[in-house]
Amino acid sequence: MDPAIESLIDLGLPLAFLVGTYFVGSAIEARHYRSIRAREGALQRLPAVTFRSVPAGWEVLESGLVTGSVVISVDYFKRFLAALRNLVGGRVKSYESLLDRGRREALLRMKEEAAARGCSAVINVRLETTRMANSRRGGQGTAGLEVIAFGTGLRLRGDPA
Amino acid sequence: MIHSNTETVPGMQIVHFYGVVTGSTVRAKHIGRDIMASLKNLVGGELTGYTELLQEARNDALERMTQQAESLGANAVVNVRFSTSSIAQGAAELFAYGTAVRVE
Amino acid sequence: MRFDSRLPDDAVNVSPTHPAREALTLVAGVAVGVMALVVVLAIAIEAVIPWIPPSFEARIFSNRWLASARNTDADRQAPELDDLLARLAVHWADNPYDLHIVAIDDPTPNAFAFPGGWIGVTTGLLDSVESENELAFVVAHEIGHFRDRDHLRGIGRGLAFALAMSALGLTTTNAAMRVATISGDLTARAFDRSQESRADRFALAVVAAEYGHVGGAMDFLTRLPRPEDGAHDGIRHYFSTHPLGEKRTDALRLWVRENGWPDEGPLRPWSGRAFGSAE
Repeated sequence: MDPAIESLIDLGLPLAFLVGTYFVGSAIEARHYRSIRAREGALQRLPAVTFRSVPAGWEVLESGLVTGSVVISVDYFKRFLAALRNLVGGRVKSYESLLDRGRREALLRMKEEAAARGCSAVINVRLETTRMANSRRGGQGTAGLEVIAFGTGLRLRGDPA
Repeated sequence: MIHSNTETVPGMQIVHFYGVVTGSTVRAKHIGRDIMASLKNLVGGELTGYTELLQEARNDALERMTQQAESLGANAVVNVRFSTSSIAQGAAELFAYGTAVRVE
Repeated sequence: MRFDSRLPDDAVNVSPTHPAREALTLVAGVAVGVMALVVVLAIAIEAVIPWIPPSFEARIFSNRWLASARNTDADRQAPELDDLLARLAVHWADNPYDLHIVAIDDPTPNAFAFPGGWIGVTTGLLDSVESENELAFVVAHEIGHFRDRDHLRGIGRGLAFALAMSALGLTTTNAAMRVATISGDLTARAFDRSQESRADRFALAVVAAEYGHVGGAMDFLTRLPRPEDGAHDGIRHYFSTHPLGEKRTDALRLWVRENGWPDEGPLRPWSGRAFGSAE
């Protein structure tokens, strides 16, 4: 094969991948953020706090564990940026939005479960993030990131004041 | 901004509480630190390069969490917790979260 | 305590930099870094090379494998090749090398300078040269590489670069490695081109000293950009590894004129012309 064409393919294919995944990834991310913001607005009135004490004046009828979890995958473009970052150091900005989305989604799902169970508040919220390793590349790649949020949902008499 | 990892700020009363605020940064080490660390792996001892890196990252995360709390009008963050997770090979996420409150 | 349900600033945990811009900055940064590394390595190697004497070189790089790649039929031409080499080497006054030449069995025209003082020319090259003058130019070019210790540079740089890349390779993905390798390649090629020019100039000087003119050699060079005949396609391959642009031939022509060498003259035929056909 003509070496010129070979080198064109050699360079062009990854470049096309990068550009493609960048655009598709950004579109998916934008859509997710829209959904997150909308749902956060809807669940504004349901407080989620990290402390354990029940605020004075709340009458607890029932309590139970509520959880929300999500596994988000890392797209090719973000992985490429992170790999370059690994050489020069500094903030891996491409992953920031990923984790932000994951966390907010997990918290939302936890609140949604709480709301579905009739709870009007969640206390003692904890958050955990784990990397799911890629089974094929000897555990080296990142298949996705799992974020879980869990807390104690409280069913109250009346609204949280 | 007052930070505390207890339920309340000792000696003060919480008058308003807002909700969970989070701050996170994802940091990657650079090739220089990497090489130093590999060498250290042969002889043992503290990996000062990484310690510094994570220290900076933690402060950064706290900074962001504080920023989020301030945007709510809070003046304290209680029940602060930290979490470090490995995100990709060579990149770690430093995550700080707590509840934004207004104390008096 | 009362619950205040307002929403926090949600942009805190995301940096405002546009990903495309971040990509460009990172790629540029890595590319520049790698180029700087290549330059630094090249300088380091320059410093080391004068300390490697040719005798040491010959001891380390024994070319026994060359003997096996050697085309035994070419032994018929060997005395003529050795004679040509001897005549040309005379023009390099302080030659510290014990030079040898072998014909390598390969239909593609090519020539090599192996560490230790060995020159290899392929049977393909021997078949495609139209006169002894042309072959002399190629051999003299390789002698020029020895004079400048270019072969050591190539090996040294290649080794150092490979080491650096494998150290990086432990920590990064394919695509990022590619960025680093391409930047490294491009920088290294710039070095190679200047080496080739130097070798060409030396070769022309030797040819002029031996034959009294540079005809044949210049023909060889000018034939390349327009490979209309199938016979010359092979020669284009040789020069594809030694890229020869219009600018370079022009520069060489200028140099020839500066030195006052006639560029026409009687060409000695290369007696090995019939070699290579199956018998």
